[in-house]
Amino acid sequence: MTYLIDTALFILQGCGVTLNLFAITLAGSLPLGFVCAMVKTSGWKPFRIIMEAYTSIARGTPLLLQLFFVYYGLPIIFPGFRLERFTAAAVTFILNYGAYFTEIFRGGIQSIARGQYEAARVLGMSYPKTMLRIILPQTLKRVLPPVANESITLVKDTALVVVLGIGEILRNSKQVVSRDFTVTPFVLAAGIYLILNYALVLFFRRIEKRYSVYE
Amino acid sequence: MNDSDIMLSVKGLRKSFGHLEVLKGIDLQVGRGEILSVIGPSGSGKSTLLRSLIALEKVDDGDIVIEGRPIALSGHDHISDAKIRERCRKLGMVFQNFNLFPHKTALGNVIEGLVAVLKTDKETAVAKGEKLLAKVGLSDKRDVYPCYLSGGQRQRVAIARALAMDPDVMLFDEPTSALDPELIGEVLAVIKELAAEKMTMIVVTHEMGFAREVSDRVIFMDGGLILEEAAPEKLFSNPDHQRIRAFLDKML
Repeated sequence: MTYLIDTALFILQGCGVTLNLFAITLAGSLPLGFVCAMVKTSGWKPFRIIMEAYTSIARGTPLLLQLFFVYYGLPIIFPGFRLERFTAAAVTFILNYGAYFTEIFRGGIQSIARGQYEAARVLGMSYPKTMLRIILPQTLKRVLPPVANESITLVKDTALVVVLGIGEILRNSKQVVSRDFTVTPFVLAAGIYLILNYALVLFFRRIEKRYSVYE
Repeated sequence: MNDSDIMLSVKGLRKSFGHLEVLKGIDLQVGRGEILSVIGPSGSGKSTLLRSLIALEKVDDGDIVIEGRPIALSGHDHISDAKIRERCRKLGMVFQNFNLFPHKTALGNVIEGLVAVLKTDKETAVAKGEKLLAKVGLSDKRDVYPCYLSGGQRQRVAIARALAMDPDVMLFDEPTSALDPELIGEVLAVIKELAAEKMTMIVVTHEMGFAREVSDRVIFMDGGLILEEAAPEKLFSNPDHQRIRAFLDKML
């Protein structure tokens, strides 16, 4: 029993890193996705092309490859430029998830009927005001389910940083597995991921409920 | 018509969508308190004309002047968007598909323009909103979201929303075309009430009975042009054009 608790505590130490990466990624990628989506929907053509290239590359190549590229590849291109491991992971994750959120928000904004813009316009609202008061509040409701999905994927994707030797949940449990030759730590790790994601599901369910008063 | 009594004046209005010319040179004047119906077959340009008046469509050529202030001038290509919006505030618009804001209650819809554009303080706006909801007979729906309202109720909220901005001219774009037949009456009743108050109105409609009863003048559009413009008695019983007679026969 003490063995179990000790193991669990050791793995949970890694949980801090996992949650940290999760929070930093969301804090960075949600605003990034929002800004890129606004640019993509309202924008000027050169910007749109840049955005298109960004989302295609970030979504079209493996996250693991991107991690390798930022951590091992950038120092080769720019000698002497080496990001700290966690920073490299955070930057990669923000850019990667930012691309997904860009597309989610863009789809959300574009799903709002033209008539909403027209109704706002005939009341005399400017474009920024229309976005702020009419379009974005409705978009928010529509993007909640896909954003919840991405967040759940993100919790699991944090395990990828194990390849950079960052001591998060998976790495810590793997250490115990190698040391003690038992599968229990993996089960514990799985349990922790499950709990984290279930908490996330409950959280999003609450917000969705708040927005369900209309339509 | 006295100059100060001209609410809206349109000259040589042209508009194409791609290769399709939808408006082929429209001239029109609407006087204070006048009620104008616009009828004609689908695709004749009625809605495009109405939408152009409130700058929802950018016209290719011609003048549109609202109470002496242009929102489009032939050969004068730039009037700033802010100015256009400002000038168009004299007009209120009611859409065929209501276009209510789904995330706002009935009252929230009615006061949105007051709060967001006119910066009216909340209390005054709510008082005004409640008065307008009462006017369209929906006081009890004050806090209800549009998805829980019938089509007729939605359109009445939309009318109240437009009226909240104190427009001088109300534009109605087929206000009853999306409604079940039994709900048309309640919306027409509200519009008739506005007519009785001498609100200047332009109504694009397929309700011939309504157009005949309420309008001071009826315009028949066909193929992007005004084919005939006359008092309702004349246009409905003795139009100059065979085309119109055929259209009316089909409608009745």
